[in-house]
Amino acid sequence: MAIATPPTPAAEARVERLEVMWQSRPGVLGWLMTTDHKRIGLLYFWTTLVLFGAGGIEAMLMRTQLIKPNNDLVSPETYDQLFTLHGLTMIFFFIIPMTTGAFGNYLIPLMIGARDMAFPRMNALSYWIFLASAIFLYTSLALGMAPNAGWFDYVPLANKTFTPGHNIDFYALAVIFNSIASTLTAGQFIVTILKSRAPGMSFNRMPLFCFAFLAASFGLLFALPPLSADNIFLFLDRNVGTHFFDPSHGGAALLWQHLFWIFGHPEVYILIVPAFGIATSIIPAFTQRKLVAFPLVAIAELLVVFIGFGVWAHHMFATGMSTTALIFFAGATSMVVIPSTIQVFAWCMSFVLGVARFKTPLLFIAGFIFMFVTGGLTGIMFVAIPFDQQVTDTYFIIAHFHYIIFGAAVFPIFGGMYYWFPKVTGKLYFERPGQISFWLIFAGTNLLFFPMHLVGLLGMPRRVYTYPGNLGWTTYNVIETIGGYLTLVGILVLFGNLVWSYLRAPAAGPDPWHGPTLEWVTSSPPPEYDFAVIPKVSSAYPNWDVEDREEDRRKLASGVLLLDQGHEQVEVTPVDGWLSRTVEMPHESPWPVLLALCLSLVFVMLLLQHFAIAGLMGILSLLTLLGWHSKEPQEA
Amino acid sequence: MSGYIASSVERPSKPAAWWGMVILISSEATLFGAFIGTYFYLRFRAPTWPPDGIPEPRVVVPLILVGVLLLSSIPMQLASNAARAGRLAATRLFVVAALVLQAGYFAYEVHDFSDQLKTFDISRDAYSSIYYVLLGADHAHVALGILFNLWLLAKLVRGLTTYRVHATQAIAWYWHAVNLLTLVVILTLLSAAIG
Amino acid sequence: MRRLEILQWTGLLVGALMWGVAHILGYGTTEATCNSAAPVLGLDQHLWEGVINGVTAAVSLGAALAAGAVIVLTSDVSYEDDAPVGRIRFFAIAALIANVLFIMMIVLYAVGSIGNTPCRQA
Repeated sequence: MAIATPPTPAAEARVERLEVMWQSRPGVLGWLMTTDHKRIGLLYFWTTLVLFGAGGIEAMLMRTQLIKPNNDLVSPETYDQLFTLHGLTMIFFFIIPMTTGAFGNYLIPLMIGARDMAFPRMNALSYWIFLASAIFLYTSLALGMAPNAGWFDYVPLANKTFTPGHNIDFYALAVIFNSIASTLTAGQFIVTILKSRAPGMSFNRMPLFCFAFLAASFGLLFALPPLSADNIFLFLDRNVGTHFFDPSHGGAALLWQHLFWIFGHPEVYILIVPAFGIATSIIPAFTQRKLVAFPLVAIAELLVVFIGFGVWAHHMFATGMSTTALIFFAGATSMVVIPSTIQVFAWCMSFVLGVARFKTPLLFIAGFIFMFVTGGLTGIMFVAIPFDQQVTDTYFIIAHFHYIIFGAAVFPIFGGMYYWFPKVTGKLYFERPGQISFWLIFAGTNLLFFPMHLVGLLGMPRRVYTYPGNLGWTTYNVIETIGGYLTLVGILVLFGNLVWSYLRAPAAGPDPWHGPTLEWVTSSPPPEYDFAVIPKVSSAYPNWDVEDREEDRRKLASGVLLLDQGHEQVEVTPVDGWLSRTVEMPHESPWPVLLALCLSLVFVMLLLQHFAIAGLMGILSLLTLLGWHSKEPQEA
Repeated sequence: MSGYIASSVERPSKPAAWWGMVILISSEATLFGAFIGTYFYLRFRAPTWPPDGIPEPRVVVPLILVGVLLLSSIPMQLASNAARAGRLAATRLFVVAALVLQAGYFAYEVHDFSDQLKTFDISRDAYSSIYYVLLGADHAHVALGILFNLWLLAKLVRGLTTYRVHATQAIAWYWHAVNLLTLVVILTLLSAAIG
Repeated sequence: MRRLEILQWTGLLVGALMWGVAHILGYGTTEATCNSAAPVLGLDQHLWEGVINGVTAAVSLGAALAAGAVIVLTSDVSYEDDAPVGRIRFFAIAALIANVLFIMMIVLYAVGSIGNTPCRQA
């Protein structure tokens, strides 16, 4: 039962006080100054959807160009920008911000029984920096100088000699800028998950969604600095004349690749692990049973990211490194598949042992498991160095990673959109069009990506803007392009359904699925303060603990953990979740958007090589930080 | 006390601000890890290190300077302890003492850095590139720490609050990390004097 | 309880640390022995790989045994029970699985780096 209907007049009065205290300012100003994790999650959601559209247009242009040999829809130069932007956009500006920024922000405090993140203003800052970095990158497209050396941007192609224009400077700076937002988000999630859980939620009682996001956050925290170091070196080589990557002066071209992949491989686990978290939330709800092998799945989430830090040079098997060097990476790669396999078995057994209701969210998860296993099987094949050396940089690789990324990241995102749609909007989406959208997308993606395995084995390289007609590749490309358009139709049906459902669907109530976790305890949508009382937790499936929810209703009447003296939140001990103290939280603030603006100016000045002015903008940013910290929470 | 009845005992734990600082330090330490990894990656590819024409680094003076900086961890920790005990005057005194050591270290290093640039420029070769980036990044983090301390002193003018106690704890930890990091960076750069 | 805590944290963290050390130092040794500076550094690749991987594998085995010990000592408890014992058992189960993987990887490193000719291009 939702806390939205309090039982006694005294309790009602206190909840009314909470409502007033946590209210947002009306209008645009309220959105610019918001620190509410749910509003920030929604801002991320809509922004990433626009960027998903951009990445999708880039994909459709490429597929249309490739529908026939020697096509001239786009020039080679344009094609280079298309595949570079497509990779950058989908990875940095769609999947990461959609999973962490949208799903993570909205759901983590709700799942752990908190009222907001640990650092609400920093949360807003993450969003504004993300938005600024997206605008920064796409300005390059508007100016006709988008990055064009692939999303991995290898030197020496990316150095000043071979790509003299500003394209690569846009790349280096946009990636560094964007990584600030993700680093802040990662730190946010780690501290929130460790400190802001409801008392009683020890680590063995934490939802698997939180384990997944904790893993992804640690991944981001440790993977992004090497990428930043790489891009700092690149920017310096291009603009200041250093020689990090220049062999003629003691530098090394492979240095770029090492640092890039030390980031790049953990990044791909960061892409899919939050999606695993979404899957492990949906499966218990639609099988109405606890997930099989809970501790194994929890450690598997963390292990796949951790071991993922040790496999990076499997992206470099064809670079001429020695066998004894590469063996470390082949060894680790062979073991990194095991945690994922544990999870697949646990998910499948949960289907078998529970009573599965194949509503749209669960359909997407079933599709995800199929696509992930397919992509994983080709992934294992790459452990064999000789095989990898044959297929690297062909369409076989493109097939592999799209099965993984589209299958294991995007399918759960779509499933999650349907699953939590009732919670966020208060409406129950229309089921029939939902199922149709799934089947269209499933058919479309398999038609699009499966033939790529074959055409890759036939020798078609990646990143080519066209191909000759006498190599037997044409039919495969035609099928792939048709698959692309079919996928597009499915995606349009999906979003059309969500919009139509928002406008016309019946009310959902707080708990349409009888879901296992705490977000289903609140009203739909949740109130600003999330929980009237901080919930009692004694298992990893708190919404199914009827006695604890009864206890919460009694707490509401007696005022225990109601925390209505200010914007209050509890802090707990990190491992066992014992209550530690009550803290006052910041509310709305103009500082995050102002700081993001100052930082944008730093990056623009760096791009224009006005280094002194960039330094001044840096000082302005420090002054903004000073303003941010001028008022303490108890003074606000 | 806020609007809850103590239904369970409160247990002590580090505040969120402390954890936030640990996160920041982890991220920055990883960045330095990437720089140090780069240093050795480039070094293993060089027949001579430093390359011909660049003098080997001096050893004694840099080590003394690092020692001075490391010493500042003592007053910083004492400041953190004093803040938690509620002793305002002692807290202020210890932060000032730390600042003297840190600012003195930093002033000398800035002077030294600009002197060295006249001997060999950053754009000379890979050695100079990684040398100045690694060292410069470390100096930037020391500078940031000095700014933190100045901010803290300004806040402490008006007394101690829970917020300021947590801030002192977090900043003390920042300094321990930066001091350790500086030691590692200096030892890395000085390793060019061996062999 | 204190002993259980120490055993649990050892099991959870030490194996992971050992794998990290084995990976960085093991791969780093191949870089140090196969490039221009190798004559200056004068390291024997096979010897170093043997030592690094041998020591880290042994310590990881210790961590695995620590985790196993906790599982045996908490056999009357479930991982769903109250903290701290429930949590300790939960982490110990997790640690055992993790350490098996870490030990396997270090063994593969040893076999691969000692069983192959040093510095031969793949």
